[in-house]
Amino acid sequence: MLSALIVLPILGSLLLFLGLGGRKLAVALAGIPLVILLLLFANFDLQAGGLQWVQRWDWIPSIGLSYSLGLDGLSLLMVALNGLLTLIAVLTAEPEVKRPNLFYGCILLMSGSVNGAFVAQNLLLFFLFYELVLIPIYLLISIWGSPKRDYAAIKFLIYTAVSAIFLLGAFLALYWLGDPHSFELAEIRIASLRPAAQTLLLLALIVAFGIKMPLVPFHTWLPDAYGESSPPVAMLLGGVLSKLGTYGLFRFGLQLFPQAWADLGGILAWWGAIAVLSGALAAIAQKDIKRMVAYSSIGHMGYILLGMAAATPISLTGAMVQMVSHGLILALLFDLVGLVERKVGTRDLNVLNGLLNPLRGLPTVSALLILGGMASAGIPGLVGFVAEFLIFQGSYQDFPLPTLISICGTGLTAVYFVILLNRTCFGRLDNRTAYYPRVHGWERIPGLILTALIVWFGIQPMNLVKWPQPLAFTLSTQVAQAQTLILASAGNLAPVTLSGADPGNWETSRN
Amino acid sequence: MPDIVDIAVSAEGFSTLVTAVKAANLVDTLKSPGPFTVFAPTDAAFAKLPPGTITTLVQNIPQLTRILCYHVVPGRLKKADLAKYQSVGSVEGSPIDLTIEGDVFEVNNATVIQADIEADNGIIHVIDTVILMRPHWFWPIMNSALAASARG
Amino acid sequence: MTTTLTTRKLPPSTHPFADVVHRLEAGGSMLPDTPENLMQIIGLYKAYAVPMDFYWRDLLYIAEQVFVDPLPFFKFIIPEEYLKLANHYAGDNADLRIWRGQATAHPELLEFMEKGELKRKLPRILHHLWHDRINMEFAEECMRAMLWHRDMGGLLDPYMDSEEYKQNADRAIRAYCQGNPLLMGLYKLFPDMFLELCRQATMYSVLGLFWEVMAPVFFEISDLYDEGKITSVPEAMNFLVNGIFAIAGRPIYHRVRIRGEWYDIVPKSKGFTWLYEAAFPYVEAVFYRTSPFRGTKSYNAQANEVPTNQLDFHYGILYADKFPVGTAGIPPTLLHQDMYHFLPQYLVEYYRKHCRGEEDMLIQLGVSFQRSMYNVTSAVIQAGRAAFLYPLDDPNPRHLMMNRRYFEGQLNRFTRPEYGIREAARLAYIQDQNYR
Repeated sequence: MLSALIVLPILGSLLLFLGLGGRKLAVALAGIPLVILLLLFANFDLQAGGLQWVQRWDWIPSIGLSYSLGLDGLSLLMVALNGLLTLIAVLTAEPEVKRPNLFYGCILLMSGSVNGAFVAQNLLLFFLFYELVLIPIYLLISIWGSPKRDYAAIKFLIYTAVSAIFLLGAFLALYWLGDPHSFELAEIRIASLRPAAQTLLLLALIVAFGIKMPLVPFHTWLPDAYGESSPPVAMLLGGVLSKLGTYGLFRFGLQLFPQAWADLGGILAWWGAIAVLSGALAAIAQKDIKRMVAYSSIGHMGYILLGMAAATPISLTGAMVQMVSHGLILALLFDLVGLVERKVGTRDLNVLNGLLNPLRGLPTVSALLILGGMASAGIPGLVGFVAEFLIFQGSYQDFPLPTLISICGTGLTAVYFVILLNRTCFGRLDNRTAYYPRVHGWERIPGLILTALIVWFGIQPMNLVKWPQPLAFTLSTQVAQAQTLILASAGNLAPVTLSGADPGNWETSRN
Repeated sequence: MPDIVDIAVSAEGFSTLVTAVKAANLVDTLKSPGPFTVFAPTDAAFAKLPPGTITTLVQNIPQLTRILCYHVVPGRLKKADLAKYQSVGSVEGSPIDLTIEGDVFEVNNATVIQADIEADNGIIHVIDTVILMRPHWFWPIMNSALAASARG
Repeated sequence: MTTTLTTRKLPPSTHPFADVVHRLEAGGSMLPDTPENLMQIIGLYKAYAVPMDFYWRDLLYIAEQVFVDPLPFFKFIIPEEYLKLANHYAGDNADLRIWRGQATAHPELLEFMEKGELKRKLPRILHHLWHDRINMEFAEECMRAMLWHRDMGGLLDPYMDSEEYKQNADRAIRAYCQGNPLLMGLYKLFPDMFLELCRQATMYSVLGLFWEVMAPVFFEISDLYDEGKITSVPEAMNFLVNGIFAIAGRPIYHRVRIRGEWYDIVPKSKGFTWLYEAAFPYVEAVFYRTSPFRGTKSYNAQANEVPTNQLDFHYGILYADKFPVGTAGIPPTLLHQDMYHFLPQYLVEYYRKHCRGEEDMLIQLGVSFQRSMYNVTSAVIQAGRAAFLYPLDDPNPRHLMMNRRYFEGQLNRFTRPEYGIREAARLAYIQDQNYR
């Protein structure tokens, strides 16, 4: 099952590279994995928790590389998000996109590799997929996009190369320092490592994944890459690629180093809060709507970090839900911003005006843009609220100040979206220039699908929350245990046994 | 001395005016002691009006009366008297603008072609165009200056 | 020919709209003379004439029969007798037979009233509630503009404040309230409110009588175009100028029918005329001033965005931003909806080829309507020039200079910087065919 998620898109991309097909085939190829995803959701055992559909095949035993796959709640959500956004990205692409086969092929290749990374249970395998993603995404940025795309692509590549060095270094260290020497996620034991070494390794991972997410101050590649690439690519970069970073932090940071994670919790929480604020403030200063949306992404990564730092069951669930919610909302925003640019011919806030005009404007696009802005700002009833509320609810007791700052950050999100909406949607159309082509029905489809999901998960959050909940509980328990161990060894407090070990119990405290 | 109506009837070229005055039942008024100053349009002046105008007016006596009253000013005003004013009030109520400089003697957009015909009960000035009431916004429009910032 | 005359006698104008000044001096319109413009404005005259045929009838019905009803729920449900009412200036028994239309309601109007946009015969009230009808809201907006912007010339305005008017109104209102103690009690309590309602009814009548003339004029101009007898924008304008003069002396009055008896509120004998008491105030109130509609203009009085002086109001069709048409709360949208139902086929095809075709036809026809109303305003300006000033081929340079002062003074209304009037004026836009 899981292999199909990887192999089908990659085979599809090969078909396209060989010159078969075109847009229709690409849509079909992007749609097939959704069927598999539906099967996965239908058969996922919520009670069992843990990894499912585990499979392992030793590939090159001499270097510890094995084709080892498995799927838990987080991976499930991530592959689902990836599958959905791949299809949306293909639908969003202009029909007259140049070199269509290469374009769609790259998207599919990227999609397959990302799926591989999300389900890989072998560090080296993960790294392979993690790096494989770079080839199509580099091409996607540098061939299709705005005038400064070459610069953006190179900048992106350099940053990610640095990320890869840190990642590979950390993985190799884990292999050599760990006992037994293994790249298998299930086999790695770090108990033998000194706390300082653990912290160092964790920091290396945070830098590696922090570049990918990206986290402030590693974010400077982002506005260029998001801003210069074409809308479907920006959608995938923000919606899926950035999740490789957060996913990596969960999988290899939090899960492998609970103790070091607990030590760094306070710093990470503040880091998250600073990311939230700086992302929001930078977004407020933008004059280009696409860059504004790009900067909003930085702030939203901060929430995820905050939720992870607190590592309570609620905040971890929130962080995982936020990964999905951010993916959906960002994809919607990039889709709409892309439509605005395609029809109006500019992304300049000082030029855009009055798009909500019912006959001459882009009323549907504007209406969805308003909804997307509201979702991003965490208005109740939309998926953004669910995620942010869980994060704040879960992290407040441990990190009240960073949480409060982040809550202020959501207020600032509302500020820049009001600026964006006020300039683009409201006001009046210029009688001299406002002769924009109409938006065709099919152009609205991706936006409508995403909107439907954003609203649906906003009203029925349990449909989304229930998947990662068991994993969140397991992880938070690990961190909590690690923390009590530290405290106990410090002699300050007697070890506290955790009571109420029930994944559904939200009140579980870790002190 | 003949009165205003007598002069109009006896002179040539005022048949339209006389008909109109009769239709508007103004004969008795204009025969009364007055005195009146009348700006009398010639037949040619009436002929300048587009077709239909007269028909509609003749069908509607009060409206015709009003137009005719605009051609009448109370008092006995010769050109020399009128020269003191920029405008005079008509019997209708609206003012009549005067342009009197040397040889030029104009009322509204009409030129006086024969001035100062004396009658028993007033003065007649013959004009070449039927004058129509200028609404109060007319001069503000004429005098409106282009805003400095709008030029150039 | 006249162009050469004036240019020889006068130096070129230095007005920002010098081209337009020269065109007006040559007997042209503010709207450039192109076949495309001609087609647009004539098509819109036709599309406007059909609903106008309803407007004037219903306006007269409200003025004469609904009168001061404080709760006029059914004022838009016009009775049959007003659809059969003979237009004074159309039909075989017309007072003046220069336009060929029929005296009773236009057949296209009757057909639409029966079936509506739904093309279904339903009870009138259902069509009404579904807004599948001729929308009187715009007509009332015009009426209110004329009532509210007072003192625009003419003698009717001071007359409505006179003792004579008040007595006439009082007599009619008493007759109207007779046998209805509740209404009579209300009148005793709020006499001024009823007097104001009566003034409003008078304005209904004024506007009804004004449009009674314009409807056959517009039908005729459309027919002449279809017959190939009008071939240029100045010809269309001159047709309107002649119409204005022909009908200038038409009486303006207000009378009310209560229980079969007529009560004069504004008697015909006051000598009020179509030109002075209806046409000029109408143009001023509706084309230039009106009032800001929700959503189209800021109401920020603190920022001096709303003129303190009513004279400076500039929200009429000549200044209107047509792009928000279709947005809720904008009365012209309803007018455009009305005209949309009666567009001639050549315009429908023309609009399909531009912008978004079917989708934004309301805006496209709105811009054409704006062009057509610039042409009507040109006709009014030329008529004013002919009535108060001098012929275009006058040999006297001083007279020609007066004409120029008048034209430039009129155009100055589109160049004033206060309150963004200059930016709002669409005179510069309509010079360009690509404004649509």
